[in-house]
Amino acid sequence: MNRSKPPFRMRFFATKLFRVLTIALMVSALTNPLQADVDAELGKKLFKANCASCHKLDKKLVGPALAGVTDRHSEAWLLSWVRNNAALRASGDAEANAIFEEYGGSVMAAFENLSDDDIKSILAYTQTPPAAPASGNLDVVPAPAAEVKTDNTTLLVILGTFLVLFIFLLLRIRNTLKEVNGDVGTTVVQDANALTRWLMGNKRFMTGFTVVVTVAFLYQLFWYLMGIGVEQNYQPVQPIAFSHKIHAGDNQVDCNYCHSSARSSKTSGIPSTNVCMNCHMYIDGSEIVNEAGQLKYAGEGSPEIAKIYAAIGWDADNRTYIEDYEQMPVKWIRLHNLPDLAYFNHAQHVTAGQVQCQTCHGPVEEMDVMYQYSELTMGWCINCHRETEVKTANGYYAESEEGTQTINERLAEKFHDDKITVEKIGGLECGKCHY
Amino acid sequence: MATDKVYWKGFDELANTEVSQRLAQNEFAGEIPVEQFLGDEKLMGSAQTSRRDFLKYLGFSTAAATLAACEAPIVESIPYVVKPDSLTPGMPTYYATAYADGQDFASVLVKTREGRPIKIEPGDAGRFNRGTNGRAQASVLSLYDSARLRQPVKAGAETNWETIQADLQQAVASSVAEGKQFVLITGSVFSPSFKSVISALRQNYNNFVHVEVDAVSSSEVLDVWEALTGVRALPSYALSNADLVVSFGEDFLSGSTAQQLSKAFADRRKPGKGMLRHIQVESNMSLSGANADKRIKIKPSQVGSALAYVYNQVSGNNVTVGNLSEDVKGLLKGISAELSSAKGRSIVMVGGNSGANAHLCAAINSALGNIGSTLRPDLPVFICSGNDNVMANAMADMAEGSVGALVLVGVNPAYNRVGFAEALGKVAYSLSLCDRLDETASLTSAAAPIPHYLEAWADFTPTISELALAQPTIRPLFNSKSALEVLGALTGNTQSSKDWIKGTVAGFGLSWSQTLHDGGASLSNNVSISLSETSAKALAGAGEAASVAAEVVEGDFELALYQKTVGAGSQSNNPWLHELPDPITRAAWDNYITISAKDALAIGIVNETQSNGALNGSLVTLKAGNLILQNVPALIQPGQAQGTIGLAVGYGRSASGRVSDGLGVNAYALNLHQGFGAIRIEVEAGEHEFASTQLGNTMMGRKIVNEVTLADFMTDPSGASWNEKPTYHTLDGIKTADESNLWTNHDHESMHMWNMSIDLNSCTGCGACVIACHMENNVPVVGKAEIRNFRDMHWLRIDRYYSTDMTEARAEEENIGAIGKYAAMEVPGESPEVVFQPVMCQHCNHAPCETVCPVGATVHSREGLNHMAYNRCIGTRYCANNCPYKVRRFNWFNYQKNERFTDVNPAQDDYGRMVLNPDVTVRSRGVMEKCTMCIQRIQYGKLEAKKAGQPVADGAFTTACAQACDTGAITFGDVNTSGSAVQVAKNDARSYHLLEEVGTQPSVFYQTKVRNRA
Repeated sequence: MNRSKPPFRMRFFATKLFRVLTIALMVSALTNPLQADVDAELGKKLFKANCASCHKLDKKLVGPALAGVTDRHSEAWLLSWVRNNAALRASGDAEANAIFEEYGGSVMAAFENLSDDDIKSILAYTQTPPAAPASGNLDVVPAPAAEVKTDNTTLLVILGTFLVLFIFLLLRIRNTLKEVNGDVGTTVVQDANALTRWLMGNKRFMTGFTVVVTVAFLYQLFWYLMGIGVEQNYQPVQPIAFSHKIHAGDNQVDCNYCHSSARSSKTSGIPSTNVCMNCHMYIDGSEIVNEAGQLKYAGEGSPEIAKIYAAIGWDADNRTYIEDYEQMPVKWIRLHNLPDLAYFNHAQHVTAGQVQCQTCHGPVEEMDVMYQYSELTMGWCINCHRETEVKTANGYYAESEEGTQTINERLAEKFHDDKITVEKIGGLECGKCHY
Repeated sequence: MATDKVYWKGFDELANTEVSQRLAQNEFAGEIPVEQFLGDEKLMGSAQTSRRDFLKYLGFSTAAATLAACEAPIVESIPYVVKPDSLTPGMPTYYATAYADGQDFASVLVKTREGRPIKIEPGDAGRFNRGTNGRAQASVLSLYDSARLRQPVKAGAETNWETIQADLQQAVASSVAEGKQFVLITGSVFSPSFKSVISALRQNYNNFVHVEVDAVSSSEVLDVWEALTGVRALPSYALSNADLVVSFGEDFLSGSTAQQLSKAFADRRKPGKGMLRHIQVESNMSLSGANADKRIKIKPSQVGSALAYVYNQVSGNNVTVGNLSEDVKGLLKGISAELSSAKGRSIVMVGGNSGANAHLCAAINSALGNIGSTLRPDLPVFICSGNDNVMANAMADMAEGSVGALVLVGVNPAYNRVGFAEALGKVAYSLSLCDRLDETASLTSAAAPIPHYLEAWADFTPTISELALAQPTIRPLFNSKSALEVLGALTGNTQSSKDWIKGTVAGFGLSWSQTLHDGGASLSNNVSISLSETSAKALAGAGEAASVAAEVVEGDFELALYQKTVGAGSQSNNPWLHELPDPITRAAWDNYITISAKDALAIGIVNETQSNGALNGSLVTLKAGNLILQNVPALIQPGQAQGTIGLAVGYGRSASGRVSDGLGVNAYALNLHQGFGAIRIEVEAGEHEFASTQLGNTMMGRKIVNEVTLADFMTDPSGASWNEKPTYHTLDGIKTADESNLWTNHDHESMHMWNMSIDLNSCTGCGACVIACHMENNVPVVGKAEIRNFRDMHWLRIDRYYSTDMTEARAEEENIGAIGKYAAMEVPGESPEVVFQPVMCQHCNHAPCETVCPVGATVHSREGLNHMAYNRCIGTRYCANNCPYKVRRFNWFNYQKNERFTDVNPAQDDYGRMVLNPDVTVRSRGVMEKCTMCIQRIQYGKLEAKKAGQPVADGAFTTACAQACDTGAITFGDVNTSGSAVQVAKNDARSYHLLEEVGTQPSVFYQTKVRNRA
């Protein structure tokens, strides 16, 4: 291997950095020709890429808040600290060691790759935190335009009214014509009575009417009864306004990260509060920007995320867990309520069957408020078991003990080339789900 | 056309008698028990319900249920705040621990779900006495017993631990000041940490006295072994080295180390050359006696003389032999001859608590050269170490008032020691560390709860070479504190019990986490016991022991105490143990005297079957000296020695809890410290109602349990002569039941085919499997009254059959007609042979139940199981009627809600409900249920294989019954896997199906029992 050539990762980083720098230079050349090398916008990018996991501008995170850091330390010191703080500490620098001690000996990584100008750019960013961007800022993901549902109820009502008026008008005209003819006029009520009497007397109409009403009633009754216990689209208000869209959709958090037991256990598991804290120890929602581009909670943490802190006893200001705190679990409202008589196992479907979560739970990554997507009726289960093919590559089917045929071989003997659905291996048998 | 014809139902009505008038007024001749079926009697109030009211309730509840069903129920789903790493919701977590309740010891695994222990399973292979008897299985329910003491109690009022601790400190200090004794009474102590606390107490307080006491004492036997070996412990039995076991009244198959003895016993009784032979000499029909190849009836008082006689025979010595009949002598001569020809490969055991008998037994074993080979005093077992002499002295001191402070730990002498309650009254301060306010704790100055074994840290050295650890599997339910900590604080040692145990483990030089994981470790300790010296001492003292034994006076009637599955009393309040019918008598929820048919006839004791099939029996009064026990039911027991009766201890509790209080009589009140004694019986007026689950006592000449003698088995290994398959004459010639088949066969080849083999040769009938099934499958407890109605809910029962003296051959010889023959066949013999047969759903491949179900609630699976969908069942009970094996159980009531089961059904209180297995539906009223072959375990096991991407390995999982069986009598597996244990069993020559002639093709099959008759 050519020694002079930097390792791949380094090269990649260098290329990336070069590109960033080039773009930054071009941008800065346009915006601020006087400060060609030091640029707060570039600093912001570099800050986000390198520093944000441990530092905030206005708040202590793992490391100190960086706003006004240039007032507290000299630029030269800061440069050498950022470049290699360990070396600086090793050199016996009192200031460096004091900070190290203050933050409990958490080691900051060395950033040898950053040029002086890069660091200065970052420092410039920390010095002048850009005011909330007025428009077109990078943080706001434009919300997709809500799909306008064409609701024609109003139109129908108007049409209906017109129709009634029209009939009324016609009746009045008829009556007027009658009166013109010298006949005795009738009121609308009398007309209606006459019509009813005529209809009541008409056997054909009455038979047809009875049949239609009965069928309609039975139809409605049937579907009403069939719907008892089916809670499709059930969407209760949860104690925390948790959005799957933000987590699974926008931020692409894997379902299994929070619902980790879905792979191994019968229950998918509601994540315990400490799992939330893995991320929310750092994300308190203070940076959420509203549609107007302003900080939604005026720089404070989100009150919804604060509910997590209240449950587990996290002191957001001092960034510690409160000792002897009386923790209170979050009482979520359960959405998917299978009756006790049915046994369902997530691991069977997720791990063995390799079914996607969305198959049953719907487009969770698009749901701000979670709802029950599927019917969860037995017919719904059975239909899927009839159609779904078994993942026969699993060693359970494909391998066997010495001297025994594999299940795949045995199934092939019986079903030949037919596709092996869950039904064919006994997936419709009562005792598979009811015991 | 009008008619003036008058119809009448009978001549009574025609005559218009008073009776018919009264009947005409009431539509139903008897009262309709509407409330009974409506379940919730509280709602109904005391008012009588008319039929119209009933219909109103019915209509209203239907409408209400419909309306309620329309609303979406709000169900909360509450996750942990901080989830423990070891726990995945929905998945079981196992902990290795040790079960010790003062009577038994077992190494077990505890299955927990979401932090609740729900099942006890056998411990790691290699651990001492791994396995689970009925009591160990049921012990998890005792954890959730709502009768447990929840708070420390002082003078009847709740208090706190600080007060208890301060009072104790104060009482001990003043006992020192006053020159009085500080007495600690415990059960047998074999915990190294607890021993260190005791020695610390001894150092700190020179007035300290420690008393060990066992509910069922072995004190005299221990005295003998202490004299012989210098170590106060019982020797262990090495059955693996034995070809012949002769037991004089020792019920080793249900004793405290029965798990490992049963296993060794079953292993050595595999049919074939060198099969172990077992002879039992006893008065009561014990579990061991029922499993014996030969059983000899003898009075308990004659055991000493019998041992002396055998000793003379095998050693050639001539020690004193008491009174023995010539018959008995003849039988003993035969045994002696057998023993002499199996020197060094035989073992003689003796039961009861007689020092003389124990010494003679040791002498016989010495003379036979068994010591060191089959009897191992050099591998002592420390589970039992109570000392009655020390206890007697302490009680005398208490009565004198010279005891200033008394602490009791986990013992209940006021219940099981006559005279203790009076002596306790003279003690200035007494503290009971106990699990409930029992007979003793309700008399002491203060009582405080100690944790259940599933909540506590503990360590044990059950043998010299074994350290067992017990760890908590749940946070303590109540405000309990380990006795180790309470007593440790008296010596100024305030470390937690966990630290105590940790220190002990470190002291043995063991790794803490490894030892904890394994549930214990083997120790390389040795005890210096000279085998030759022990033998010599045993032989030397034989003459003296024989003369003591010869002086035992024979009574007209002698009572021998025994233990049922309930045990000595510490788990009396456990409904599972009561619900299990006694393996021998098949009666549940009772204790009673067992008496032979001849004696019963002589003194006027009657057992009568009622019109509903239930059994009633006479009541008697027992008198031992001036001690009287009244209202004792009497049950006629085939095989009971004449002139003897048996009575189980552990019953007659008065302060144990709602399940057991007032159940049975207290046998300890007769003060038979040797376990037997002379007794007088007087028949009382009145009847007792038994709850027996089996009345047919014999097989009536049918092949239900197939049996063969070892000699026949050896001469014809193919089984053609002793395991004939039933055949039918058809148009196409002679066919077997399988071949003459009406039905199309199911596909059982493409997936799995779960089969079960039950080896009747290994099954000892102990019943651990029944309790395991009970807890695994949420089987309801129904109580005595329902069992008496034959509505027991056990999915698995163990049928017990006695042999009868009438056989087909004898009937022919004596020219007895069919009626006379079958009438005689119903009666068990006086000295019957006993067989046990576990029967659960046979999972027939042509199931009679499936064809008659009108709603398709019971259907067949392609894995060879008979499925039961509870929610489809409408309760016609056709299936149960059509089942030839009678294994289907109907939910007559909502046992989880109905008030009549509140006292017995654990699922009716919040604690008891915690034991329910969350993977199994709790069935409601009106549905049928039955063995599922633990389908939840099958499904779990298959899924684990799929998750790992592997084929299902043979033995990877098994049913609860098979797992609980110490002897390995039950084998479960996939018969489609070649070489699997169950496939091997299926092809064995001994294998047969129950009622094979019916053609049901069950998935369960049995292995013929082989008897080692001489």
